Amino acid sequence: MPDCHNGQAPERPTDDQDEIDPTQAPAVSSPPVRQLFSVPTPIKRIFDRFPLVIYPPNELPTRLAPHARCNRLFVFLDIAGARQRKPSFNPQCLRWQAYLKFVGIDFELVPSTNHASPSGALPYLLPAPSVESPLPIPAHKLQKWAIEQVHCEEEQQISVRFDVYASLLDHRIRNAWLYQLYLDNDNFNAVARRLYVNFATSSTIVRAALAIQLQQAARDELRKYSDYIDVNDLEAEAGNAFEALSILLGSATYFFDRGKPGFFDASVFAYTHLILEENMMWKHNRLGQLLRRHENLVQHRERILEDYFGNR
Amino acid sequence: MLELHVWGPAFFLPSIDPQCLATIAYFVQAVPKEAWVLVASSDPSLSPTNELPALKNGETWVSRFRNIVDYLWQYSNGEWGLDRSLDGLEKADKAAFSAFIEAKGQPLLDLSFYVSSQNYYGKISPAYGTILQWPNQWIIPPKLRNAAKARTEHLGLSSLDLQAIEEQRSREHSAAVAAGKIPKNLIQRPQDTVSSLLGKTPQQNKFKLDALTAEFFEPLQELLGHKTYFLSDKCPSTLDCLALGYLSLSYIPDLPYPWLRESLQTKAPRLVLYVEGMRRKCFGLVGVSDSFSPSPNTSLLPWRPPEGVTISRIGSTLVNTLADATPILRDIRMNNRLQEVAKSSDSGLSPQEKRAISSFAEARKLDTYISVATAITIVGAFFGYMFHEGLIVAKSDVDKERGGEAEVALNIEDII
Repeated sequence: MPDCHNGQAPERPTDDQDEIDPTQAPAVSSPPVRQLFSVPTPIKRIFDRFPLVIYPPNELPTRLAPHARCNRLFVFLDIAGARQRKPSFNPQCLRWQAYLKFVGIDFELVPSTNHASPSGALPYLLPAPSVESPLPIPAHKLQKWAIEQVHCEEEQQISVRFDVYASLLDHRIRNAWLYQLYLDNDNFNAVARRLYVNFATSSTIVRAALAIQLQQAARDELRKYSDYIDVNDLEAEAGNAFEALSILLGSATYFFDRGKPGFFDASVFAYTHLILEENMMWKHNRLGQLLRRHENLVQHRERILEDYFGNR
Repeated sequence: MLELHVWGPAFFLPSIDPQCLATIAYFVQAVPKEAWVLVASSDPSLSPTNELPALKNGETWVSRFRNIVDYLWQYSNGEWGLDRSLDGLEKADKAAFSAFIEAKGQPLLDLSFYVSSQNYYGKISPAYGTILQWPNQWIIPPKLRNAAKARTEHLGLSSLDLQAIEEQRSREHSAAVAAGKIPKNLIQRPQDTVSSLLGKTPQQNKFKLDALTAEFFEPLQELLGHKTYFLSDKCPSTLDCLALGYLSLSYIPDLPYPWLRESLQTKAPRLVLYVEGMRRKCFGLVGVSDSFSPSPNTSLLPWRPPEGVTISRIGSTLVNTLADATPILRDIRMNNRLQEVAKSSDSGLSPQEKRAISSFAEARKLDTYISVATAITIVGAFFGYMFHEGLIVAKSDVDKERGGEAEVALNIEDII
């Protein structure tokens, strides 16, 4: 049916009256199938006029101009925290925040939400305009970018255990973290709601929707691997993971016996700091109990906090 | 007597599922043969957590590889443990490599078995057909396939599914037919996948697959070195069981599009030798008939035939499937399942954990009610609007406007 009207199509929006007139109805005598679910006239009129107007993109707000000389890292953080260069409260953001500090790249923190990110996820970095590429750099390309900037080492090459032990963090500990932060209801109300939901908007309805979305996303992530979320299993796996990391660190100052902290230290610190941080105000902190059994991991976190985040 | 319930045999291996294979390997190496039986029940609804592998001891059910290993350790007072002799770093390696194998091996098997449509329709779906009973053979494989697709979505390799590509092409075609009527900026561009950037043949996926397989096989081969087992020369550990589960399914099945097997052969020849040796030792050659009519002399494994299928079992499967496919009912059932676990007295949970689970289930119940209320409101508003516009009542009015509207309705369907 669409074929036989191609010729008429461009004229349709200009003359609405024609179509209501039964004499102008299409010559094809199709049975009246679409009575109930056909599009109501007012909606049809709106669609006829699409696109209504296309505006040019907005200018960037002028208040952003003074910052533009510096690299800017967009993270989950409150405004006061950003000014004092505090650690972000999101493990992914904190990992990159710490890593960029370790390799010595200067940047400014900008509090943001994932709705603002081009890839839909935080963190991302907007390089200073003097640097060649003004495009935002998403998290998974940040390490490559940092290596190009300051010619630091690509640490994945140090040891075969780098990627292997990283899967402890990215799966075992992350899953337990998702449960503890989003699905434990007391924690969700005390921690996640305060940090992620209330910060993002002041509208009650949007807050409620956002909270449901967050919990649902965490639940979906955990249910990818099994129908049934086994809390004991998640916690036991996280406990084993901390134990393995503690053995890997041993009595060394930083992981893989390096003189200064690197990407792996940043990944570990991102979780250990947030689990042990008192300002998070956990209601139930099972991960904290498991982590405190390993003194060297606790000291590792304190060392980095003092040396790189000015012990705040 | 311990009963180990698993997914049934396929490709001359005792199970089609890596976790089940790992559990069987553990039993063979740690538990005396007269203390356990292996049941290829292939029906996850037997176990209260809806998962296989599941171990049944009297009234107690334990599911998942790691839980079963822990349970055996406690049940036998440490006698049936494989990891007794591990020292510090070996213990850490065991934990880290286990996490690594599950994290990297599962997506590769998902891609090879379920996402690659040639393999799925050519071998995997028929293999499930021989081990499952009616009506499960029509219900379970598509369910597993959808779960596998969801797990591997982030890898951007959905183009391995040639059938889905074909469907998308026909959708694009019908969209293009209507394109004369839709303003350009409303037509959605199809998402770029790796293969649509490079061309459309499956060989073009090789670059990405190569990187993924190398990431998985190379560290394992390096850990194995020239030892007999992953962690020591003398005795196997739970890590060996897990590795055998995932590697044997990567290597042994003879699939129409054998990229996983080929890359294991070229990238990690020592792992191939390891898999062949371990398989001979733990499983032998297993045919599907072994599990249903076992003959004790030929098989290494203590098979026991699964219980025959009954009318009531079929009925309950059908009802469960229907209920799980209905959006709101599914959520309610999910909550009940969680609460049952929390309430049952012998579930082995501490009071605090029980409280956590039931509060979680309560929260989910609230979510469900909210979604019920939302659905009712929206449907109500929709019908209200239709009455208001007179779309439902007056037939003659609708006839009058039909001409133009039928056309627009078609266009809107194309947009969606």
